[in-house]
Amino acid sequence: MMPWLSRLLPTCRDMSRLLSDAMDRDLPFRMRARMRLHLLTCVLCERYKDQLHLIREALRKDDAGMEDKGSAKKPCLSAEAKERIQRALDSHRR
Amino acid sequence: MADRVLSDSQTMVEAHGDFLYRFALVRVRNPDVAEDLVQDTFLAALQGSHYGTGPMAERGWMIGIIKHKIIDYFRRTKREPIHNPVQPDGQTADEEFLADGHWNAEGVAMQGWPDGLLERRQFWDALALCLEKLPPRTAQVFTLREMDGVETEKICELLNVTPVNLGVILHRARKQLRDCLSRRYFGHAQEGVQ
Repeated sequence: MMPWLSRLLPTCRDMSRLLSDAMDRDLPFRMRARMRLHLLTCVLCERYKDQLHLIREALRKDDAGMEDKGSAKKPCLSAEAKERIQRALDSHRR
Repeated sequence: MADRVLSDSQTMVEAHGDFLYRFALVRVRNPDVAEDLVQDTFLAALQGSHYGTGPMAERGWMIGIIKHKIIDYFRRTKREPIHNPVQPDGQTADEEFLADGHWNAEGVAMQGWPDGLLERRQFWDALALCLEKLPPRTAQVFTLREMDGVETEKICELLNVTPVNLGVILHRARKQLRDCLSRRYFGHAQEGVQ
């Protein structure tokens, strides 16, 4: 990128924060335009942005990390906890 | 009819208990609170009319209930404001940037991710592990925003955070999670490269 132009644009460090902010609120038009220009020439920021959005997509699946999609052992209610809950439910039903 | 459905509370605990427990635990980060939330959710479910409409409908309905219970829990609990969000893992956020503000392209965390990641078990394992590494308050903020899509104003009010700090917390959490996932994928062997 031409040096005079890159001086006008956010750095990658700035971009990492701005890309996060853009996921939570609408940024002003001029800022969005400067970010777009940066992204046009910066594959690493483009990648970072895609990764943040992929993480969000994964987490917004309702069962993210809760179902046994992975192979690792997930936290479970202990047998005692299940009994406690069971007892509470039964006492409320009466 | 009603009796038959109600006598199914044991089935309900077996069918949804672990799922709802994990759902709550990843958000509130406290096993006792998570257990209470599951119990409250079942109590509400038993009083409702959806119970007995089939496992899929039940699951979605219970998720709706427990989301509300979790928000209520945050609202009830008085919280110290987060004044100065600390760096989550003690490492400076700047390590991955060069002096001129560009990414350090050599960093392990900068590697591209393969396609079809969401289909891979390894990714979901890594995601669960990396989520657990977020500090508790950060995890509460982050899961409300990223998992449940709660608006930032509401999160500030629920968790007693200023909008400025919220921005910092979310930015750091996202970056920490991205870095953690990349490291899990591309291994410790390359860790020394940086």
